[in-house]
Amino acid sequence: MPYTIPIGPFHPALEEPYKVNVKCVAETVQQVSVDVGFSFRGIELMAQRREWVPDVTLIERVCGICSNVHAMTFCHAAEQIAGIEVPARARYIRTVISELERLHSHLLWAGLAAEFMGFQTLFMEVFTLREQVMDLLETISGNRVNYGMNRIGGVNRDIMDPKSAIDTVQAMAKVIEKDVVPAFMNNITAKGRMGGVGPLTKEHAIEWAVVGPVARASGLAIDVRDDHPYLAYQELGFKIVTQPEGDVRARVVVRALELLESIRLITEALNNLPSGPLRAFEGMPAIPPGEAVVLTEAPRGEVVYYVASDGGRTPARVKIRTPSFVNIPALEAMTMGQQLGNISLIQASVDPCLSCTDR
Amino acid sequence: MGQTDGTIVRADLVAALAAIPGSAPVEERGAGLWISAPRLDVEAMAREMKALGCRLVTMTGLACDDGETTIIYHYALHHDTINFKTATSGNAIRSIALLVRPASWSEREIHDFFATDFIGHPNLVPLIRPPELKDGFFRDPDPGSITPDKP
Repeated sequence: MPYTIPIGPFHPALEEPYKVNVKCVAETVQQVSVDVGFSFRGIELMAQRREWVPDVTLIERVCGICSNVHAMTFCHAAEQIAGIEVPARARYIRTVISELERLHSHLLWAGLAAEFMGFQTLFMEVFTLREQVMDLLETISGNRVNYGMNRIGGVNRDIMDPKSAIDTVQAMAKVIEKDVVPAFMNNITAKGRMGGVGPLTKEHAIEWAVVGPVARASGLAIDVRDDHPYLAYQELGFKIVTQPEGDVRARVVVRALELLESIRLITEALNNLPSGPLRAFEGMPAIPPGEAVVLTEAPRGEVVYYVASDGGRTPARVKIRTPSFVNIPALEAMTMGQQLGNISLIQASVDPCLSCTDR
Repeated sequence: MGQTDGTIVRADLVAALAAIPGSAPVEERGAGLWISAPRLDVEAMAREMKALGCRLVTMTGLACDDGETTIIYHYALHHDTINFKTATSGNAIRSIALLVRPASWSEREIHDFFATDFIGHPNLVPLIRPPELKDGFFRDPDPGSITPDKP
C-alpha cells in the first residue's frame, strides 16, 4: 500500500526550511516532490530599489556560506557593463577569497556528511580544519562570514601577510591529504554507507542540468573556472575534478579532492600576488545603460547573474540563479527506487542551500 | 574561426541559432551571443538547443511598461553563453518545461514575479512567492506594503 511522508519543512540536521514529499511502497521511494520558498526575502527586488554600492552589501547576504561569490559576481556584472578593468592584484585577491570560501563550504559540508553517516571522529577533524579557514578569513577581512572584500572596480582590503596565509593552508593540506581524503575514499564505513546510494547517471545529470560538484560527481566535466575562465584562473591553471559513479560517495570524493585543488590555487595566487592598486578608481562611477550575464563557480556550483542598467542610480534588473536552484530538483531522480532511510543522506549530498534558492 | 568545443564551429553554431523559427541575427556582445527575437518559436528553440547539446542555465523575466514580459533564455555550451531574448503576447508564452526539465522551476518563478502565463506548463503553481503576495508582485511599485490578512 503506497504512503506519503512529508519530510520538512523543518529538519533536525539542516537549519534551513524546505519540504520533501516522499511517496513510498514499503521502504522503497517511488516519487519525490520538493517545496521551497519558505525563506523568501525578495533580494532581487530590493536590489532594484537600492543604489549600486549598497547593493554589494545586500547581495552578499544572499548566502551565509558563499557570500563572497555573490558580491563578487554582482561587481563583475557592473564592471562588465561599465567596461571597468579590475587591477591584477585585486583579481588575485578575489581568487584567494573565492577559494578560501570554497574550502570553508566544502569542509562544512564534509563535516556534516561525516556526522550524517555517524563518523564522529571525522566530523571533529574536519570542523577543526574549517575553524582554521574561518580564522584565516577573519585575519584577512575582519569577518568570519560576509567578508566585505568586494567593491565595484576591485577589492576593499589587501592581504597583508601572504606568507602566513600560505603556511596556514599548507599545514591544512597535510591533514586533508593524510586524514580527510583517505577517510572519505578508503574507509570501509564511508564506502559502505555511501557507495551506490542516491545515484545520478551522467544522462540524468545532463537532463536535470545539475552543476558544480553534483555534476562533476556524475562524470560531467563542467566548471566555470575552466569553461569561462575569470579572475586569475587562467594564469594559475586549473585542474577539474570528476568522478564517474554519480553516487553519494562520488559527490563526497569530488569535494574532498577539490579541497586540495583550492589549496593549490590559493598558494599559487599568494606566491604570485601582483603588485599594484587594489581598485580601478576611488568613489563610484555611473554605470551606463547596458546588460551583462556573468557566470562564476561558487562552492556548490555555477552561479549566474543577469544585471541590467538603464543608467540610473539603481540597477534596472538583478536576476540571481544559484546552484541549489538547479541541483535541488534533481533529488527527484537521485531518490527514485532508493531506501527511505537514505533520503537524509541523499539530500545532504546535494549540499542544498535554501537561503540561496529562495533569496 | 573559433570553436565552441571539439565539434561545433562557431560559424555553424551561429547559423543554427539564426535558423530557428522566429529567430534573428546573432549578435556577439560581452562574453556571449545574443539573439533578440520577439517572435521566437520557443519550443522550436528548446528542441534545437537540446540537439546542439546546449544547457539551459536559467531564464530571466523583465517587466515591460505595456504589461508584457521580456523573457531571456540563457544557455551555455562549453565556452559560450547564448541568450535568446523574446517577448510575451498578452503576458503569455508557450512553456518549454516538458522539453527541458530545468525550465520548470524557472517558469514557475517568472510566473510568481511577473504573473506570466506559461502555456502548457504541467504544474504552474507558486514556487517561492509568499502566500500573502499576489502573482506578479515584481510589477507592484510597493509590494512591501502588503501585509497578510489578519485571522
